[in-house]
Amino acid sequence: MGERKLMRGNEVIAEAAIRAGCECYFAYPITPQAELLEHMARNMPRLGRTFVQAESEIGAINMLYGAAAAGVRAMTSSSSPGISLKQEGISYIAGSNLPAVIVNIMRGGPGLGDIAPAQGDYFQATKGGGHGDYRMIVLGPSTVPEAGELTILAFDLADKYRVPVMILADGMLGQMMEPVELPDPVDPATLPKKDWALTGAKGRDPNIILSFDLDPEVLKQMNLVLQEKYRKIEDNEARYEEYQTDDADIVIAAYGTVARIAKTVVRRARAEGIKLGLFRPITLWPFPYEPLRELASRVKTVLTVEMSAGQMWEDVRLAVAERAETPFYGEMGGVVTTPKKILSEVRKYAR
Amino acid sequence: MRFAGFGGQGIISAGKITGKAAAIFDGKNAVMMQSYGPEARGGACNADLVISDEVIGYPRLERPDILVVMSQEAYEKYGHNINPSGTLLIDADLVVMDGSPLPVKRVYAIPATRLADGLGRKIVANVVMLGALVAITGIVSREAMLEAILSSVPPRTRELNERAYTTGYEKGKEALGADS
Repeated sequence: MGERKLMRGNEVIAEAAIRAGCECYFAYPITPQAELLEHMARNMPRLGRTFVQAESEIGAINMLYGAAAAGVRAMTSSSSPGISLKQEGISYIAGSNLPAVIVNIMRGGPGLGDIAPAQGDYFQATKGGGHGDYRMIVLGPSTVPEAGELTILAFDLADKYRVPVMILADGMLGQMMEPVELPDPVDPATLPKKDWALTGAKGRDPNIILSFDLDPEVLKQMNLVLQEKYRKIEDNEARYEEYQTDDADIVIAAYGTVARIAKTVVRRARAEGIKLGLFRPITLWPFPYEPLRELASRVKTVLTVEMSAGQMWEDVRLAVAERAETPFYGEMGGVVTTPKKILSEVRKYAR
Repeated sequence: MRFAGFGGQGIISAGKITGKAAAIFDGKNAVMMQSYGPEARGGACNADLVISDEVIGYPRLERPDILVVMSQEAYEKYGHNINPSGTLLIDADLVVMDGSPLPVKRVYAIPATRLADGLGRKIVANVVMLGALVAITGIVSREAMLEAILSSVPPRTRELNERAYTTGYEKGKEALGADS
């Protein structure tokens, strides 16, 4: 492990990508993820790697598509409105079975919105923001050190399944500084070779990477391959954390920044005798339905808290069904909720 | 705790250095957040820091226990929003109390900018303030803060910064002595 440093979330994601062996990074600047791009601009050229400030978000996502097809570890990053522009490219990357990492440091929306932290892009990220039947693995870090860990995991999962992986964080995590220790860098030359990549066909049969076939039967087969892969990911990659749930009557379901705030709420609620716990999905897709379902059968209330009008709430209700009551509390527009506000919601459901 | 002042006073640096002292050299948990976007415009800036032995959940300040203020504008903006049992440090020459009731009992006026000027460089006023902060509040250890300062400033300014830190520390001890 490297030395312990005080670093901003955006910088940690960038540095973790470099250490994971990211060889190409393409992006267009946008607040509040600018420091991520700046860290890449400073360090990628120095390491002999590729940094391109693209002409637009659409340019950047298609550069990512190309780099991924060439078999290198590659990443782009943006914030909400910029991620909307990338949706077509993400669909192409998914349809072409390519590994790539996309970072969304969410801000308030819809439209131009604002530059304050929000979680309004959950639907877009987890349900397929672009066209067609595709999925992305979506990772929701809750602390700065975890943002580093999940960035490295994102590259590993992308390569393992040949899928796009998104880091879904928000402006608060991007801006916040916390102490981190990042692992030693991986030498890209030591990563497993990708025999499917477009590396020049001299001396071998050509590889073809395409998300297109005019014959519906062939395209159906291509879709079945994707779906089979998605079932495998659902079976193997759901990740979550439970915090003080053993004897809980009420559980908060939250991810990212809200989940870390909820930990403070759990401690305060317990100090006043409320048995509160936290269920925190780490993978937002695949959503950890089974463990939440199991937990819901032991508690009275699963209170979803988000910085949105209630997006993850739909997955929570799918998981819980009728096993517990499933109220919701959220803030929108970049307003960050406080422990005080969440606790007063929790009190409504305390016996 | 919160540092507040105007751009160019090294407010953000003071926050980063204190965060580093706590998280790296004192081995505690720390989260640092600085003013951002529209709130960072108009000259005023602030750096907020949560330091704890426990895991930090909520990363923002509800009410700072310690407030260090280095400009009048920052005092007017943040002065009232301090924990009533907290500690307020002000730059003695840059913040003028208007005679209205003080937000807290423990108020220490440190002439940080004047002392820095006396050392030859006004720019180290923030480091003078860090010295006073450590002497008065003990928020981080004296050694941790010094190490954090020395590892954050350009090498050729280390000696100056160490002097600024010591000057502030002594002034802080003196202010604390006068108070008790």
